[in-house]
Amino acid sequence: MKKSNGKSLKERSFGWIDERYDITGVIEFAKKKSVPKFRETIWYYFGGIALLLFVIQVLSGILLLMYYQGTEDAAYESVKFISTKVSFGWLIRSVHSWSANLMILAIFIHMFSVYFLKSFRKPRELTWYTGFILLALSMGFGFSGYLLPWNELAFFATKVGTDITRQIPVIGDWLLILLRGGEEVTGATLSRFFGFHVAVLPGLFTVFLVLHLMFIQRQGMAEPEDWKKLPDSEKKQIPFFPNFTLRELLIWLIVINILAILAVFFPWELGIKADQFASAPVGIRPEWYFMFMFQVLKLLPANILFLSGEFVGIAGFGIGIFLWFIVPFWDKRTPESRRNKTITYVGIFVVMFIIVFTILGFILD
Amino acid sequence: MLKILYKIVLFFLVAAFSSLVFAQSNTDECLSCHQELDDELLLPAKNYVNDIHYKKNITCAGCHGGDATTDDDEIAMSEEKGFIGVPDRTVRYKVCINCHSDEQEMKRYGSNLQVDQYKKLENSVHFQPSINNQGPIADCVTCHSVHNIKSVDDPQSKVYPTKVVELCGSCHSSANFMKNYNSSLPVDQVIKYKTSKHGMLNAQGDPNVAECVSCHGSHDIYSVNDSRSHVYATNIPEVCANCHSDSKLMSNYGLPSDQYESYVNSVHGMALLEKEDISAPSCNDCHGNHGAVPPGVESISKVCGSCHVLNMELFEKSPHQKAFDENDFPECETCHGNHQIRYVTDNMVGTQESAVCMDCHSNEKDDKGYLVAGEMKLLIDSLKHEDKETKEILSDATQKGMDISDAEFLLKDVRQVLIQTRTSIHTFNLDKFKESINPGFEMISKVKQEGISAVDDYYFRRLGLGISTIIVTFLVIGLYFKIRKMENKT
Amino acid sequence: MSEEQKGSNKNSNRRDFLGMLLGGGFFAWIISLFYPVLKYLDPPKIEEVKVSSVKIGAVEDMEKDSGKIIKFGNKPVIVVRKPEGEYIAFTAVCTHLDCIVQFRKDYKQIYCACHNGRYDLNGRNVSGPPPAPLKRFGVTIKDDQVIVYKEEA
Repeated sequence: MKKSNGKSLKERSFGWIDERYDITGVIEFAKKKSVPKFRETIWYYFGGIALLLFVIQVLSGILLLMYYQGTEDAAYESVKFISTKVSFGWLIRSVHSWSANLMILAIFIHMFSVYFLKSFRKPRELTWYTGFILLALSMGFGFSGYLLPWNELAFFATKVGTDITRQIPVIGDWLLILLRGGEEVTGATLSRFFGFHVAVLPGLFTVFLVLHLMFIQRQGMAEPEDWKKLPDSEKKQIPFFPNFTLRELLIWLIVINILAILAVFFPWELGIKADQFASAPVGIRPEWYFMFMFQVLKLLPANILFLSGEFVGIAGFGIGIFLWFIVPFWDKRTPESRRNKTITYVGIFVVMFIIVFTILGFILD
Repeated sequence: MLKILYKIVLFFLVAAFSSLVFAQSNTDECLSCHQELDDELLLPAKNYVNDIHYKKNITCAGCHGGDATTDDDEIAMSEEKGFIGVPDRTVRYKVCINCHSDEQEMKRYGSNLQVDQYKKLENSVHFQPSINNQGPIADCVTCHSVHNIKSVDDPQSKVYPTKVVELCGSCHSSANFMKNYNSSLPVDQVIKYKTSKHGMLNAQGDPNVAECVSCHGSHDIYSVNDSRSHVYATNIPEVCANCHSDSKLMSNYGLPSDQYESYVNSVHGMALLEKEDISAPSCNDCHGNHGAVPPGVESISKVCGSCHVLNMELFEKSPHQKAFDENDFPECETCHGNHQIRYVTDNMVGTQESAVCMDCHSNEKDDKGYLVAGEMKLLIDSLKHEDKETKEILSDATQKGMDISDAEFLLKDVRQVLIQTRTSIHTFNLDKFKESINPGFEMISKVKQEGISAVDDYYFRRLGLGISTIIVTFLVIGLYFKIRKMENKT
Repeated sequence: MSEEQKGSNKNSNRRDFLGMLLGGGFFAWIISLFYPVLKYLDPPKIEEVKVSSVKIGAVEDMEKDSGKIIKFGNKPVIVVRKPEGEYIAFTAVCTHLDCIVQFRKDYKQIYCACHNGRYDLNGRNVSGPPPAPLKRFGVTIKDDQVIVYKEEA
């Protein structure tokens, strides 16, 4: 280490920044940050995994932007070009597609682990709300990105998916036209979705992500009831810097490698170009994260009492999602003194519901 | 006294006998009466004694109705007796078919003639209404005439083989007449026919050679483009074969009789008869139809060349043109045959036993053709081999999930080159041949490269993955130890 | 040197070694990440479609004293039909700053709108900034069709 004035390079760089931005306090604060070490610690990694995958999405997305052309005439061809002609284009594209799915999966796992550990409770309600918004935004990313290759399956999946907005009362039809850029799914839809996918959604996502992370940093890691009740001698902690960080790095390395393996052994297909006038092919379905809703809607009868089955389904989902969203609110009303079983039972029901209907959706193809 | 008795008995006998005779011949009172006339009504009666119906004892009333037994013209030609006078042109055929479509009636007169003439005629082109609405264009009378009808086997009959050409030509050679019905129909058939072998022999009185009826039919004549016609494209080979496969008949003229059999098994025959491709040639496309004559030795390539244009053009500029003419070899026929033209295979060219080149060329010192043939075969085989190898590589790449659609597109061009190269064999010139096949080699090597690099890319991906996985594994293990060490310290 | 010091030396050696391994490993990993990304950003070579001649239509399709831009492979070419009926063709890329030129009937010249460059009907640069003449393309008429082809150097 080079020395001058008796200080190392590291110390001098730190000093330069500290003089200007007074970061000593921040550093001290960060040193104190720790993660509870217990059986459930493993779930604490999933937020970081989701963040990693998001960063990978942004980077691979920017690379794809170098070659992708978002018009009806050129979208499919440009994706084909990337997959076949550009050096490592196949890798970038498959990583982007796989990482999208893994990110949403990671966010779901993260959300459910937070739910079951009840980390959404005071003082972390806003963290939960921003987190849920991030989930919704990432599903928006998934839906808009899916259309961009402009292939047959994506075209019809988008058609079916956007059709559902019709069921929303009052603003449904207007919303449909807003989404589609017209009455039907056309090149205008592609333009809009491209705009959503690379400008609108990233902007919103970044805002809520920053808030989410800020809240976590300020408040520290959540400490679940079970762990808090342990005697002090048995309460173990992992310092966030550098221990937990290094552990996260380890897991991140493995995740990145998994992505590479998936890209090489299970490359993402392109299919055939979308044709607006062709008949719908057999087996159109949305991506797996929409599948459970899609399957429920398919199974509902055409009419329930005086309402259309589809409307009932969408209304039901709307209400359910809203209730889930405001869980910090109604959780307060349930007795905290003993282990709160209601939340857990509701949570188990929701998880099973999603898993069962997702599987059904794929089997009953 | 006995002498007088003798004379009286004789007189009565003669009278009786004569009256009997006169009774018979006097049964046709119409005829005897009309024969006494001196206006236009005389002619039919004069002609009728030569008519076959007269010889069969059919009276005028047999066709015209009325009563032929009485010489009272008012009774004989009365409506009550069924007299119809001269039937109108629109319906006169009905008179003929009264008997001629009735098998029983024909047997009554001891005739074995067929009774389907009208059935055949009524849908034919000749039975369409004529332009001035005067009944059908042609009916029985038009060809067989009337009042002097002869048996078809009678050389005097208008429809006897040696006379029918003139009969058909009386309408079909008249441009003025034919243009009322179809101005695009040619009117030179008779002229052409007279230049043909059939025509020349027919003019010499041979009733056994083909004339109009032999090919077109007699009563069931349809337009050439009507699939019911005897001379519709797919029907022609059989029609010609009717005579030309009859070895006994053909031996009279010193002609072979195996052409039909050869043709049916040839490329052209199978295309026409099995695939029903009417653009394929049949007998008349090479031999001509009315002016049928086998093409001369030096004109064969022009005949074949009327469809196979490029081959003809190349052949005519090739060294074979002069060589074949000098040796009196029929041009295309020498290598490809005339009737039994088979599918061409690449084995036809080269120096192996099955090659047609070897029919003339041999491995002798001055035989340049031998070398050229060998070289051509070598090049074609080599291109085909490359093509096959490349296709295997591409299929391997596809199996591995790599995209080679551009390469596959280029392959189509190679196929095109192969097709064109086989045509350029007809230049019989190695340099020109190489000009057409060399681009194929360039293309195929490009495609092969793309295929190979696609497969290579597949392996490269796995290799790259392997390397990075190894690096990551090292890192992970190293990190793990670092973490453990760090935690053990505290 | 005491045992303790030796021990700690060994430890520090091991620590250094582990540290170096980790550092080296990370470096290798980063390379294996950056290498594909950099190759990706390098655009692939699209095969130049070798076009040698282009048929542009029947002789009478173009009016006399008019011009139009055609696609020759992936390059633009300007075709002009002179008032007498003769056909001429040049590259349509201006030699100044690569704008696409046009035929001006009123000037009877080929004109570049970007900076007022002008070429005569022999392709010579006669006015404005263009530093060099336009490269000529050959035109021939075959079977009543106008064909533009690349002239040999």
